[in-house]
Amino acid sequence: MGEYASHDAAAALARVQELDSTVRKGSKWYVRYQVIYGCAAAVMVLCVGLLPSPQGVAIGIGCWSATMAGLSVYAARQRVSRRGFGRRHVGLIMVWTLLYLAVLFPGVMWHQGAASWWVPGAVVVALPGLIGGYLEARR
Amino acid sequence: MTETSPGAHPRHELDEVIHAPVRLSVVATLAAADKAEFAFVRDTVEVSDSVLSRQVATLEKAGYVAVTKGYVGKRPRTWLALTPGGRTAFAAHCQALRAIAGNGADGD
Repeated sequence: MGEYASHDAAAALARVQELDSTVRKGSKWYVRYQVIYGCAAAVMVLCVGLLPSPQGVAIGIGCWSATMAGLSVYAARQRVSRRGFGRRHVGLIMVWTLLYLAVLFPGVMWHQGAASWWVPGAVVVALPGLIGGYLEARR
Repeated sequence: MTETSPGAHPRHELDEVIHAPVRLSVVATLAAADKAEFAFVRDTVEVSDSVLSRQVATLEKAGYVAVTKGYVGKRPRTWLALTPGGRTAFAAHCQALRAIAGNGADGD
């Protein structure tokens, strides 16, 4: 290491940056994941709130379960996940769960079938995925 | 890694395990990831399976890389991840590289 020159160090740092960029590109799958997650959440909430029960609940939960199964397989097949992915994903799930419960319970109790509640509610539960996807795409 | 003593060249702060070009590339790739598949690292670093296996074994022995084996469906997969110790060592190594690069003709 005695002959290590400043241009060697600069080249090594440039290589580090290049590899960082490659990993970021390889992790872009999480943009699609979050956007699909957000859209599926909105569809589920609309089905549960606006379609006649119990068919609406069955269709909503069925579509949601199928989408989650597909997304899980999709995520498991990816070759790389970027640094901080685990924390970010847990954050997404936690925020989404809180918003979902905040929309679902009042909706089921007092606003069943009311589009004025469920449509904005669907937008709200879609936001964590859509905003997360947007932020991930910008990274 | 200790702090550079007055007059000591930052090259003394370079981590000898990480310093080798292929290992630096492997560690840099893993530093940007939570975890990465063996094949992804191989393709990114542009080395053969056997070369990567050897370098990963060295990094694993140093405690810098954790290797996990599993399956995706019926296909076996090997996952690589940097350990906390590996992240610390890589950060210190990069700091030394920046110091050397910043020193200009000092290291030439």
